[in-house]
Amino acid sequence: MKYNFKNTASVIGTGLTVAILSLCGIFGNKSDFSESERRVLAKLPDVSTETVFSGRFMSDFEDYALDHFPMRDTFRGIKSASVLGIFGQLETNGLYMQDGYLAKAETELSDEMLNHAAERFQYIHDTFLKDTETNVYFSIIPDKHYFLSQESGRLALDYNELVSEMRNKTEYMEYIDIFPLLSIEDYYRTDTHWRQEKITDVAAAIGSAMGINPDAEYATLELDKDFYGVYYGQLALPVEPDTLFYLNNSILDECTVKSYNTGVPVEKSMYDMEKAQGRDPYEMFLCGSDALVTIENPNATTNRELVVFRDSFGSSLIPLLVEEYSKITLVDIRYIQSSAIGSFVEFENQDVLFLYSTLILNNSLGMK
Amino acid sequence: MLFSSITFLYYFFPVVLILYFIVPKTLKNTVLLITSLVFYAWGEPKYVFLMVFSIICGYICGLLIEKFRGKPASKISLIASCVISLSMLCYFKYADFFITNFNTATGLSLPLLKLALPIGISFYTFQILSYTVDVYRGDVPAQRNPVDLAAYVTMFPQLIAGPIVRYSDVAKQLAERSHSIDKTACGIRRFICGLSKKIFIANVLGELAGLFLASRQQSVLYCWMYAAAYSLQIYFDFSGYSDMAVGLGKILGFDFMENFNYPYISSSITEFWRRWHISLGSWFRDYVYIPLGGNRVSKLKWFRNIFVVWMLTGFWHGADWNFIVWGLYFAFFLILEKLWLGKFLSKYKAIGHCYVLVAVMISFVIFGMPDFGLAFDCIKGMFGMNGLPLATAETFYYLRSYAVIFAIALIGATPLPKKLYTMAEKKFTAVTAIAEPVAIVILFLLATAYLVDGSFNPFLYFRF
Repeated sequence: MKYNFKNTASVIGTGLTVAILSLCGIFGNKSDFSESERRVLAKLPDVSTETVFSGRFMSDFEDYALDHFPMRDTFRGIKSASVLGIFGQLETNGLYMQDGYLAKAETELSDEMLNHAAERFQYIHDTFLKDTETNVYFSIIPDKHYFLSQESGRLALDYNELVSEMRNKTEYMEYIDIFPLLSIEDYYRTDTHWRQEKITDVAAAIGSAMGINPDAEYATLELDKDFYGVYYGQLALPVEPDTLFYLNNSILDECTVKSYNTGVPVEKSMYDMEKAQGRDPYEMFLCGSDALVTIENPNATTNRELVVFRDSFGSSLIPLLVEEYSKITLVDIRYIQSSAIGSFVEFENQDVLFLYSTLILNNSLGMK
Repeated sequence: MLFSSITFLYYFFPVVLILYFIVPKTLKNTVLLITSLVFYAWGEPKYVFLMVFSIICGYICGLLIEKFRGKPASKISLIASCVISLSMLCYFKYADFFITNFNTATGLSLPLLKLALPIGISFYTFQILSYTVDVYRGDVPAQRNPVDLAAYVTMFPQLIAGPIVRYSDVAKQLAERSHSIDKTACGIRRFICGLSKKIFIANVLGELAGLFLASRQQSVLYCWMYAAAYSLQIYFDFSGYSDMAVGLGKILGFDFMENFNYPYISSSITEFWRRWHISLGSWFRDYVYIPLGGNRVSKLKWFRNIFVVWMLTGFWHGADWNFIVWGLYFAFFLILEKLWLGKFLSKYKAIGHCYVLVAVMISFVIFGMPDFGLAFDCIKGMFGMNGLPLATAETFYYLRSYAVIFAIALIGATPLPKKLYTMAEKKFTAVTAIAEPVAIVILFLLATAYLVDGSFNPFLYFRF
């Protein structure tokens, strides 16, 4: 009797699970975009002789079925929790949680990537900077794994070697070491990036190395929305959101920010409050990932100019350098060809800063 | 289509079950055939016609063999069936191997065909061959219903990675099979057990094997970890697939043969091969080894028979020299055991277990590495012969990260969990009656979570 109950319960339990999830998958509401992963979800593929016989329909349908599975983020979270909790693995999909911080484990130093980054920098130097009076600086921003791996003994790439290799390959630049100024508390728990309100000392150190003395007072403002960083979506674990702060003062308020994404200048703001309410609030800092941005400061104490080659970390740091520069130009060579920079920037005697995170240098294929 | 995919679990199989159980008995094989063709076409839309052609040839040859029984035409029909099936297998699977070696030997540069390998061709070719040979031997009557024969060959639970189901084993079930809640529950249990083996163990150990191959910090311990991880991965991958096939078969009313029986507890290679990929071993025994004379011939011919069978076994796994060497490697140990080692191993079981584990791990290094050079580097590394350090920080990191999975895999490769569960079932019947269905659903949901999070998730045995 009990044996029959067990079998019947097994069949009904599994059957109901499959039936409910299948029906929800077929008839449930579909979304075009995954907020947590910040990517467009697959669409139901078209059926045609060509798509079926090429096998494209099948592979596209597999993607569609995965992307629109009911309670997808919950299931992803269950997977992450079981990998890290039940099976005791140190990472899941290369990500982990330690002391409340979500981070990516960068374990292998890629010579190929470092060479690519160095080759792009060399190209920019040789093409635009070599015969000018520009002062060229370089600084590397450590990612969270640098600090967390030191605390826990996790496997990590050799950060000293990364810095050393990049310095050797860019001897034409003056290196500014900011590693000692940073700690894990300077980063968001759920995101890759550092916190603007915690890096005024970094801005001061970089400024000092470039011969300026940024010491403005700022008001610390809090974004009225929870900040779920990029790792939150990738790991899908139920952790508390961050609070995003940003620094402002009258100098920043009076600056004119222009983006040249389409080639035509479009006026923007230092802190884009529309983007702050969007999918990635960190994009509020200096237009997010726009390829070319200028900041003009009518209250500058000097007429010096700065050109920054940067990744997204630079977006939150640059406002803290504005004070003494009359103009700052931000260039992201992941979104603009290096060869095209000359059409927008005339290099004469500016300060030029290459500011890149270890994450981007070690995964630099996107640099054009 | 993979069993361990959302498409199979939540779209294809529910539809199959609905169709299968609403049609009358007489149409069940037709539903099975149509859905199996869809299952195959999902991954191989063009090669489905190749498989249908093979089935038609097998069907016609089977009828001709029976019709002309006792006459030369019967033998000619059998030969025709073998030639057609093996020619297709050779053309699609081995042509480039032969051309490459011919080019190397002669210095010519004949162009390679670069054909995509039709999924499961090794499995369904052997099934069709076993059918026509069995009909020729008079072991089974020829199947007059083409739908039933096609349903046997294409049956999706075992189509692409076995077990190699003999026609003689399922002939009666094709005509008459029973369905019940108990059998369905048994099938579900077995399927989810296989799915769990594949997703929670094989895939995870596969990640570790991949990390080793990409590593720049290899060490002696890391080489052993790789060998152990890959050996366990291939076992849990393949036996997991076989469990799923057996489980699906039970849900559809079939009883397929077991394909694995805890091979890693063996104390000799002879025993290992009685427990590993049983359906392939028995196929070669019945259709190659015994027809060659088996062991009832002179010693020299006996050893020749062993070498031929194991060379073919290796070659069956893949069109490359490492597979042939892998097969011959086992032939060497089998002959050694038949001559001297067997008696020693039966006396000293503990030594036998260690010997089997080491020999099998080395074999899977040869089997799994992309080329011979890497395989020999790894084997040399295992024995500290190429100057690698004993261990590195990376080795310890991954050992720590995969320790739980290793422990689960090592225990799961023995009959211990089954024994413990059987004991618990007897002692705590009421508790297990509730706990088991709950555990099944939880495991299924957890497997779903892994699938939803994962991306491409191929089975290792697909290329064979």
